[in-house]
Amino acid sequence: MSSRRDFLGTAWAAAGVAAAAAGTAVLGRALSGSPEPERGVRLPAELLARAEKEGGLVHEGLHVRGPAASPVVLDLTCTHLRCRVAPVEGGGFSCPCHASRYDAEGRVTAGPASRPLARPRLSPDGAGFVARLS
Amino acid sequence: MILGRVTFGLLAVALFSGLALAPFWSAGRALESLETLNGATPWGFFLRGVHAFSAWGFLLGTLAHLGEVLWKRTESRLRPAVWWRSVALLPVAVLALLGGFLMRGDAEAQAALAVWREVSSSVPIAGRALAALLLGLPGADLAPVSLHHAGTFTLLAWLLTAEHGGTLLPDLRSTVLAALASFAAAGLFPVSLGPPVAPDGALLLGPWYLLGLQGALLDLPVAAGWLLPLALLLAVGLVRHADGRARAALLALAAAWGAGYLALTLRLLLAAR
Repeated sequence: MSSRRDFLGTAWAAAGVAAAAAGTAVLGRALSGSPEPERGVRLPAELLARAEKEGGLVHEGLHVRGPAASPVVLDLTCTHLRCRVAPVEGGGFSCPCHASRYDAEGRVTAGPASRPLARPRLSPDGAGFVARLS
Repeated sequence: MILGRVTFGLLAVALFSGLALAPFWSAGRALESLETLNGATPWGFFLRGVHAFSAWGFLLGTLAHLGEVLWKRTESRLRPAVWWRSVALLPVAVLALLGGFLMRGDAEAQAALAVWREVSSSVPIAGRALAALLLGLPGADLAPVSLHHAGTFTLLAWLLTAEHGGTLLPDLRSTVLAALASFAAAGLFPVSLGPPVAPDGALLLGPWYLLGLQGALLDLPVAAGWLLPLALLLAVGLVRHADGRARAALLALAAAWGAGYLALTLRLLLAAR
């Protein structure tokens, strides 16, 4: 009986040390405030031409449409809890997690989301663009 | 209490079936590896079913045993520290099961992963680091999730159950009973996988035990994802220190919480139809 108690005592002590170490690491990282890295998605000219022809397409979490020379790009990350929204028939987007709805311009038409879909910054990249998401 | 012993047996079945499943699962190709296991590996669907049903049984058994203890007023038999650690078994079990759900890698799991990253990130001060520690970085594979599923939370669940039951291992009879029940359920009800991407306009459902929280997040701020469970745990934990009216009030609070949770679950299911 006492050996079992000893074992559990040792196990709790080990778990406590591990939790303290993990907690220190977590707190250290949190206090250092490491920013999330910016992500870049290449939008080559062929993809932009196809998006223009097809009236819009989804590429690496982005919705791309409009003229290839000046495309409209929306980040398909729901502004509520960051689920991936999907285009719906008839235009616009819907979130599969909590049913937020956005119109084709990314504006909220039904909650719980309250902010529009993000529009990444576009920088020229050869004949195409790079969409930068933060 | 027989319920507690069978619950420990279910944990053992979940652990050993999980060990048997581990070689077939891939962190970088989670859904594909499980589709292969389900469709092309002899008895793969059965093994997955045994793992799922034993784990769900463990959670249900833990809840039922908690209800049994509170009903019979036997919580005072445990020292306060042991009682609080026993109450902590509930979130540990949920987190262990949630890890298994996320490891499916299908559209439902991806959506749940995104939501849980936000819920974890909403914890003050260390939230974002906690999310990275438990769920990995956005875009990375599911290796950290699997590590905590099979390691951290399973080990914690075993330790907490062992301490609560006063025994390091479940007894043979309860384990055999738990195994037989899991085998029967796995044979009768194959456990399917979700679609790789969300169907057009459809609402994706999280794991059944978290549907109430998913429903709550339709209206409440994201911090409700951890504040609501914390409120329940505090109410249940404090029962050990209360008598008379205070005890009744805490139990009424927990019961109201449970009823509200069921109502939110029902509301979400109706919205998803």
